[in-house]
Amino acid sequence: MSETRLKILQYITGIGLFLFVGTHLVISHLSSGEPTTWESIAERASSSFWLAFYILLLIFGLYHGLHGLRTIITESIPTLPAKVVDWTLGTAGIAIFGYAAYIPISAF
Amino acid sequence: MQELTFKVQRYLPGKDKRPYIQEFTIPLRQGMTVLEGLIHIKENMDNTLSFRSSCRMGICGSCGMLINNFPMLACHTPVEELGTDRIEVRSLPNFPVIRDLVADLGPLFEKHKSIKPYIISLDVEEAEVLTAEFLQSGQELEGYVQFAYCVKCGLCMAACPTVATDALFLGPQTLGQAYRYCTDRRDAGVEERFHQADSRHGVWLCHLAGACSEACPKGVDPALAIQLLKRAMVADSLWLRRKKKPAPVAQPPTESKQKIAVPEFTVK
Repeated sequence: MSETRLKILQYITGIGLFLFVGTHLVISHLSSGEPTTWESIAERASSSFWLAFYILLLIFGLYHGLHGLRTIITESIPTLPAKVVDWTLGTAGIAIFGYAAYIPISAF
Repeated sequence: MQELTFKVQRYLPGKDKRPYIQEFTIPLRQGMTVLEGLIHIKENMDNTLSFRSSCRMGICGSCGMLINNFPMLACHTPVEELGTDRIEVRSLPNFPVIRDLVADLGPLFEKHKSIKPYIISLDVEEAEVLTAEFLQSGQELEGYVQFAYCVKCGLCMAACPTVATDALFLGPQTLGQAYRYCTDRRDAGVEERFHQADSRHGVWLCHLAGACSEACPKGVDPALAIQLLKRAMVADSLWLRRKKKPAPVAQPPTESKQKIAVPEFTVK
């Protein structure tokens, strides 16, 4: 994928993260009632809407973070082969996604 | 008579391990520029001092140097404007040093060449053998003329913090010129230049520090050109870029004015 498209995705995931994390904060910590009780968490965990919500939050967060890390590595060590950086971060991203997605999926 | 102290970088590869500073004290003349100070040193004090200069009027871009820690054209910098009688002159940073104040601008020209800084015409025959001019409106000219004032002095590249950390970064001069040609309606090389600017060391490495625009002696504003290039490339990636209509070839004039006659000699 071209650098421009990767950058566009970085901006989109940045805006998405703002919305997702904002919603998560409001629902889990700022809304009235007891959103952090075991019952309310179990209720959200069994909802397909919240499963999709947290999987998307994970994808957006992972992409945004790993792309940012890629930029830092590329700028810090410009001579490092691009393939090494991309494959390392891509593999790490898939592994983290698999592990992190397992939690809400298993709780569903 | 008021005097000036010039602290000049000296370096002779093969002899010196690293650049060092040598001090010269010269008399101040009214309206003196830094370049004139260096010429005075070379002509009267040390003829081995090396620096590059040509036009002495801010047009050729040869005398780019780091003057009191800011990249400037030596011929375009009156010493009075510096507000001090101690002037430190070094070769341009982010470029290898050939000798004393002479920076090797080779990397700049290589990067500049890579974005094909010339009109790539769709009509190859017309481009090879020009029969007429390509028409262009004043408004179209306004869209890029500011960026066409670049004199390739390298000051923007010397000021750029990203070039300082990544020598492979195309840099403000190259990216600014890429935008200049991409906006020209006579040009059909947008895709090639976008491809080049879309590299890992291309347009997205620019963090908009703005140092290039501050340093540019010709008011080119490369930072603006880079932002406009980014916008055009995003539109292109999202299939939103409006294709330029190729500039039409002007019809040859049907009638021409008569030549003005040579005036009679007044002295016989």
